[in-house]
Amino acid sequence: MIECPEPQRISAYHDGELAEPSRAGLEAHLRGCPRCAAELSRLRKMSQLIRAAGRAEMPREALERWHRSLDLQPRTAVLHMAEVFVGVAASILLVSCIWLWKISTARDTAVQIPLWETTAVAAHDTSAIATQEQQLAQWIVQDLSRKNGND
Amino acid sequence: MASDGGPWRSTDSRLVGSARDGDASAFHELVDRYAGFLFALAFSLSGNAADAEDLVQETFSGAFRGLAAFEGRASVKTWLARILIRQSGRRLRYAHRRQAVRLPLEATAEPEAGGSSPQARAEARIDVTAAIGSLSAEHQQVIVLREMQGLSYDEMAEVLEIPRGTVESRLFRARRELRERLKDYLE
Repeated sequence: MIECPEPQRISAYHDGELAEPSRAGLEAHLRGCPRCAAELSRLRKMSQLIRAAGRAEMPREALERWHRSLDLQPRTAVLHMAEVFVGVAASILLVSCIWLWKISTARDTAVQIPLWETTAVAAHDTSAIATQEQQLAQWIVQDLSRKNGND
Repeated sequence: MASDGGPWRSTDSRLVGSARDGDASAFHELVDRYAGFLFALAFSLSGNAADAEDLVQETFSGAFRGLAAFEGRASVKTWLARILIRQSGRRLRYAHRRQAVRLPLEATAEPEAGGSSPQARAEARIDVTAAIGSLSAEHQQVIVLREMQGLSYDEMAEVLEIPRGTVESRLFRARRELRERLKDYLE
């Protein structure tokens, strides 16, 4: 007896999807193999069961609702486009505000010159009014000047 | 579908073209043509009329918005089925899979050989619907498209955008799974 085919081939045969040479061979096998014939019988029975479960009738009012919803589609599309444009405009506005804010804060912020620089280049003796930090800066500058022979 | 698009295929393309050009009545014509097919497919996948109706509405809305992208390589029927299948898959991934039985109360049963009682047939319908509903989305799709819609392997491959060989193997595994759930009816 010819070896049993893979069960998947019986499934394809049941669906009428087996090409001709294979189909003839399988039919010959089925005639002599109770096991494969039983497999085919189960497939047919299951298909009948599923078909017997029935199809639903489409409600007439559903069809009318679908038509009505489609009539709203162009308006929906326009609204969607409007939403997109508003979103883009809002993004541009936000970015512009942030950019303007950054520019304005950059102008307002004075460059902080290190304390020792102002002290070092002061045209007059500031020791009398200098704060402790400024005095310290002056001593450092004077010390550096002495070491460089500039005293 | 016995043949992909059938005698409507050439006019379907014309209707899509007109709809793309702004002719709303053309798309309404497509709705009238395929609403029944899509509803049956949606009902098979979702198991109830309310969800089926929502699925079909989402399909038509998606198709309307995607008119410009439709290239005409597949038939309109395949294209719509594909959109619906994708929507159905998204719904399944988003929602919890319901284990409860989904009663096909609106279903019209086809005549069944053997003359079993109405109660037995109703019970069978419930069990079959529940069994199909408990399958994974992929298995559910191939079972519904093959057993309920009668699509060929090539048509299913086109709708599901998978190779024909995958259709065959997936359908085989789905049937194996379904057989396990319905073994009381098959033995």
